[in-house]
Amino acid sequence: MNLAIDALLAFAVLMTWIGVLAFLRLRTNFERLHVITFVNIVAGAAITAAAVLHDGSSGRTFKCIFIWLVIATAGALLSHATSRALHLREGERR
Amino acid sequence: MSAWLIAALALLPALIVGVVSAARGAAARRLVAIQFATSIAVLLLVVLDFAFDQPSSMDLALTLALLSLPGTLVLALFQERWL
Repeated sequence: MNLAIDALLAFAVLMTWIGVLAFLRLRTNFERLHVITFVNIVAGAAITAAAVLHDGSSGRTFKCIFIWLVIATAGALLSHATSRALHLREGERR
Repeated sequence: MSAWLIAALALLPALIVGVVSAARGAAARRLVAIQFATSIAVLLLVVLDFAFDQPSSMDLALTLALLSLPGTLVLALFQERWL
């Protein structure tokens, strides 16, 4: 069980760092928005799975799952709102 | 040192990169960087909660996740109209 938790946490950290490198490497802000979604979904899922394995069924686990659902759904909404704002602003400047 | 604490320490430089990116460059890049830093901060708070075994501090992560929605929407509106 501990090995699985360690592996999930290592995976989450690795995915976050891949996201950081991609954030620094990608050129446009629209491309960078994809990185945020990637980190939210993949690293969030790994940490949530580690929390479930660590605690089992507890209030803290349900909060953790709820947080993941919030950042997944709100992240999609915020990516859309941000890209719309950037698109309109860049359209004005052209 | 538990695996949770090691994971939290490993996530900390990623948060610093996000915060530094949010403090530099054009306004559009800063807006995206703030979103990125917030995402990492939520994950870091969840991991810190398990690292220090303090169940009540999960509310911090939950609050940040919930407040990031209106906060970023307001910033996006400012970016769209005035910045």
